Amino acid sequence: MRMSRALLALPAAALFLAFPGVAHADESVQVQLQDLNETGASGTATLTATSGGDLKVMIRSRGMTPNSPHAQHVHGAANGMDFHCPDKSADTNGNGYVSTEEGLPMYGDIFISLTTTGDTTKASGLAVDRMPKADARGNLSYERTIPASDLPKGTIEHLKDLHLVQHGIDANKNGKYDMEALGESTFAKSIGVNGIPAEATDPATCGMVSGAAAGSVPAGGVATGDGSTSGGSPTMIYTMGGLALLGAAGAVVARRRFAGER
Amino acid sequence: MDTGDPQVPAGRRPGRYALLAAAGILTVTAVLTIGVAVANRGGNPTRPDASAAAPAANAPPVPVTRPGELTSGPLMANSPPTRVSIPSLRASAAIVALGLRADGAMQVPDSAADVGWFTRAPTPGALGPAVLAGHVDWKGHRGTFFDLGKLTVGAGITVERQDGGTAMFTVTKVEQYPKDRFPTDEVYGATDHAALRLITCGGEFDDTTRHYRDNVIVYARLAHAHPA
Repeated sequence: MRMSRALLALPAAALFLAFPGVAHADESVQVQLQDLNETGASGTATLTATSGGDLKVMIRSRGMTPNSPHAQHVHGAANGMDFHCPDKSADTNGNGYVSTEEGLPMYGDIFISLTTTGDTTKASGLAVDRMPKADARGNLSYERTIPASDLPKGTIEHLKDLHLVQHGIDANKNGKYDMEALGESTFAKSIGVNGIPAEATDPATCGMVSGAAAGSVPAGGVATGDGSTSGGSPTMIYTMGGLALLGAAGAVVARRRFAGER
Repeated sequence: MDTGDPQVPAGRRPGRYALLAAAGILTVTAVLTIGVAVANRGGNPTRPDASAAAPAANAPPVPVTRPGELTSGPLMANSPPTRVSIPSLRASAAIVALGLRADGAMQVPDSAADVGWFTRAPTPGALGPAVLAGHVDWKGHRGTFFDLGKLTVGAGITVERQDGGTAMFTVTKVEQYPKDRFPTDEVYGATDHAALRLITCGGEFDDTTRHYRDNVIVYARLAHAHPA
């Protein structure tokens, strides 16, 4: 009785254990960073969800304002809202540039600030001293793993609903962010930071998810068979048959011997 | 059958009959075992038909990327799979979770019937390649994926998911590769659509390594998403 109860409980336990802790799959999401304000900037990013729930971010972009910091964020939300990267039609004030504020309704609020060190919340959105700098040729390279505990709830589950935005353009091509080009950043002002040029906060690239891959890749092929049926190891089966035949022959011989001894 | 035991009185009738019976049973066993082995030689795991690799005339058209979107075809939210069915093979199986072994290879299910979902890749129906592996044979039983190599381009594969949704895939390619030339990038690499890969073993069985030499891989893409 106790035995059969245990047996009955087994499938239920197996079902429960089928996906232990699998709230999400490990996966690597590919993001294509596209030029937003005709600065010629572009790039690629990979967001990898690790089995521990951390987020590994890797960004490579080029055509960025050289020797300058570029504020960069994951935008969007984990509530299933359908955000997109804006196109030129988002330039509501018609100054020829899509600003951060003009883009926000399309790509959503700052979800994670992709700083090089320290805090990664929205509060660090304009912490340019902790944002990556493009090199003298305008190439920007960024890598950071953000621990699970620092990620907003639902980040990993909604990785594919999020967008990446890199800010900082050089509209008047004088090699720096300055007030002369596009004036002061009203976006920075709106969050209480004065004296920041609009060039520093206007988006350069916006990235949308273009693909996804396995989060970790198994080595080699898959051992999905042991040859235990027909297609497998006939040798073993022939051996068994042969042994049985030998046994039969032995039995016949033994019987003859008995008959002879009689 | 202690034929050399002197304590057994020679010529005793029951002994003679027992030996006769033993000989008979063993002969029948031998004939059956060898017979089955010979008969089943034609039942080797199916190798993908070369013609199956060419897209059939009635293969569904590849979905076109909509303007402003970098992905193609229908997409579903993440949800682990619970069951896979392949109507044309009359195959259906419950799904278990597969991780990585200590040596870095993918784990395999420990039953012939179960099919495993590799948890370190996307979920079936969501963007990216979902990977399901099943045995061709295991511990004397034909596996759920025994006939996988028989699948043809255009065939349907249905995956039921934990969220109650159903993902319906269409086979785009069936291929067989030696395990030492496994197409890792093609199977696990990035796709711009919701993809599915079914993996089993194929080819010759290597008696030395105790493994099949090849893997049969079915590539499919999401044709219809049926959310819960």
